[in-house]
Amino acid sequence: MSRRIYSVLAWAVLAVLAVYFLFPIYMAIVNSFKSEGEVYNSVLGLPSALKFDNYTEAFKKANMLRSGWNTVIVTVTGIVGIVACSSLAGYKLSRTRSRLSSWIFMLFVASMLIPFQTIMVTLTKMARDLGLQGSPLGLGVVCAGLGVNMAIFLYHGFVKGIPRELDESASMDGCGEWKGFFLIIFPLLLPITFTIVVLNLLWLWNDFLLPVLLLNDYRQYTLVLTINMFFGKYSRDWALILASLILSSIPIVLIFAFFQRWIIQGITEGAVKG
Amino acid sequence: MTSRRYKATFSLILFVLPAFVLYLLFLVIPMLQGSYYSFTDWNGLNKTYGFVGIQNFVEALRDDRYFRSAIWFTAKYVIFAVVFQNVVALLLAILIESRTRAKGLFRTIFFMPNMLSVIISTFMWVFVFSKVIPALSEYAVFKFLNLSWLGDPQVSFWSILLVSLWGGVGTLMLIYMSAIQGIPLHLKEAAIIDGATPFRMLRYITLPLIAHALTICIFLTLNSSFKVYDLVYALTGGGPGRGTQVITMNILEEAYQGNNRYGYASAKAIILFLIILVITMIQVSMMKKREVEA
Repeated sequence: MSRRIYSVLAWAVLAVLAVYFLFPIYMAIVNSFKSEGEVYNSVLGLPSALKFDNYTEAFKKANMLRSGWNTVIVTVTGIVGIVACSSLAGYKLSRTRSRLSSWIFMLFVASMLIPFQTIMVTLTKMARDLGLQGSPLGLGVVCAGLGVNMAIFLYHGFVKGIPRELDESASMDGCGEWKGFFLIIFPLLLPITFTIVVLNLLWLWNDFLLPVLLLNDYRQYTLVLTINMFFGKYSRDWALILASLILSSIPIVLIFAFFQRWIIQGITEGAVKG
Repeated sequence: MTSRRYKATFSLILFVLPAFVLYLLFLVIPMLQGSYYSFTDWNGLNKTYGFVGIQNFVEALRDDRYFRSAIWFTAKYVIFAVVFQNVVALLLAILIESRTRAKGLFRTIFFMPNMLSVIISTFMWVFVFSKVIPALSEYAVFKFLNLSWLGDPQVSFWSILLVSLWGGVGTLMLIYMSAIQGIPLHLKEAAIIDGATPFRMLRYITLPLIAHALTICIFLTLNSSFKVYDLVYALTGGGPGRGTQVITMNILEEAYQGNNRYGYASAKAIILFLIILVITMIQVSMMKKREVEA
């Protein structure tokens, strides 16, 4: 009997929490199809007709194509930079047993404790001095710099699980060190590479503070920054704003829908090992 | 033999160099520069500046009313956010893991907010707080919702928590779920045969055996809550007045918005770093001791 009560209680709690989690998203979607007046008069009701006017207007006014493209540049530059640099460094640091090697590794790991907020002011200055301020590409490079430490940590741990004999067999077959890395080692690192890609994708795609500090022209803005500007500009017209919020979330939701299993696995592993 | 050692060192340096250059430029140098400027009165523009010793730190902690209230507000937020997020995430993980049906559906629902940008999803909440809830509170049943959710700092504190819970639970829930899946089945079965109630199961089997996940999740939430910015920025903008200003906002205000006290802002940033460092160190070393092996 008590088991039965427990089961009913469990469903009830889950249902209540599910309503809390879905409520804002449901409200945003429903109201994004209404006209401005309809939002004003009946927020809670369903839209009178399924019109996509708000969406086409938001798409044009917020210049979604351009800001979406900027976001892609930032994300791809950052991820490629992080994966390329960290896989090389993490692999080699894990394989070399010397005092220098463990010292360098310790330096990387210790820096994981530095909060971004502590260095943001001087980092902005550094980016400006290097000419990386004011372009999505430059932002991607800076992001790569901020992301290497954790990626190296993850690669370092993963490489320990790959038998050394593989390196040796590669060098015996006359493979140079670099060629051996790209042909034999890197393919073996793909599982942890995927974890690293997922974690950084979520960070880079959705980042706000660093882009705000480094991009100073609306033509360079990423999706999140564009939405932020849009929100300030059309704050009265909720129907339009909501359509822009939904529209800008679609890419990441699609990615999630296709790769859910790997994303969930990646996040759990990244957290447990990091 | 020595030539081989040199060769190994040389190849180590080659492999590590690209990452190390990035690391040096965007992490180490800004950190060192920040620490250096924190002892100066630099305004970010002038070529000259003076050394002021620890005066910035003294001013921040003793005389700066806004910084102190930002620290208290953030501290209060951290305590509630860490407790609520972990309790709800653990509850969800246990409940979902005990289901046989619709596991994936629930997992997707509760994880979804983590995929979205904090700025974008918080704007949805602004809509809920400023339009939907006022409309709801016109019905007698929801009369109690008639509050100034974003206009009164006392209430906004809870609005911020509500949104942070919504956006923060997903990842923690996944970590707890994978830890629960790792509990050996024979231990659960033994407990059930011995007639353990669900509560006793939780207290004596589940919690001790997922202690490592607790350490990680509390570490993650402590870290993210002290650094909170996006959410508060999008929801209240730190206002009304400075009623909901968090530490990171206060630092940015000092460095940019008109104040331009670069050195002083750096000192505050170092203080934030030290707070997070000390608290997470204590937390991890205390909780590591209590972990047990299955």
